[in-house]
Amino acid sequence: MDSAARRLTLPANVESVASFRDFVRSGAVAAEVPADELEKLDLVLEEILMNIARYAYVPQSGKAEVAFAPDGPGKLQVEITDWGNAFNPLDVEPPDFSRGLAERPIGGLGVFLVRSLVSDIAYRREADRNILSFGFPAPGGFSAPAGLPGSGA
Amino acid sequence: MTIETSQLEKAVLLKVSGRMDAENSHEFEQACEQWITRGSKHLIVDLGGLQYVSSMGLRSFLSVAQKLQSSSGSLILCDLNGLPRQVFELTRLIGVFPVFDTAQQALATL
Repeated sequence: MDSAARRLTLPANVESVASFRDFVRSGAVAAEVPADELEKLDLVLEEILMNIARYAYVPQSGKAEVAFAPDGPGKLQVEITDWGNAFNPLDVEPPDFSRGLAERPIGGLGVFLVRSLVSDIAYRREADRNILSFGFPAPGGFSAPAGLPGSGA
Repeated sequence: MTIETSQLEKAVLLKVSGRMDAENSHEFEQACEQWITRGSKHLIVDLGGLQYVSSMGLRSFLSVAQKLQSSSGSLILCDLNGLPRQVFELTRLIGVFPVFDTAQQALATL
């Protein structure tokens, strides 16, 4: 992400999610991201930041950084960084949709939702940092990630 | 998020409005668990006013539904629209919970 990107760094906890959300929303509005996409952007940010808040620094605490830059009309490029344990969310197995209510696992839905809502998601580990980058919104709106159940692949 | 509750003859109706997220989904779960503890078998959740639900909210729905199922009860959803409906559809939870257009239709199945 280039130096023109706007950045916000805050403690990685549930209380920071709203501040990060408002920060990126302001950029999304300025970049003319369609209004009906903004709550999907909230959802993406909440899912990623809550994963960091709950797992990245256990048992300690740490910080998260969100950066964004306009990426053409109606689009944003977003990058989320933490300095916690190495973790690639793209390695998380998709949920097992074949199970009924009693056996349905309660976790694993957040990463699936994120992958469904963004484009070109990529993870990299640089020194002591986890960096997740993606474009928003996904072309064609809301759809299951390629190769996963529901994508038609 | 606001939760309005009314006790009906065959079920408890909870009208959930606003945003259900990581900060407040436990409030929904606690509201449901209070009724389960009091012996309620069927909870109908009217989501007509729900604007937003994240995976933390989905976890609460699943957790409550699993508790009710283990006591031969059920969690029934109605008036699910907009982004919340898309989230439930994409995560295949539409097929896991009974979903009706209206609370009246849900009540008629009990």
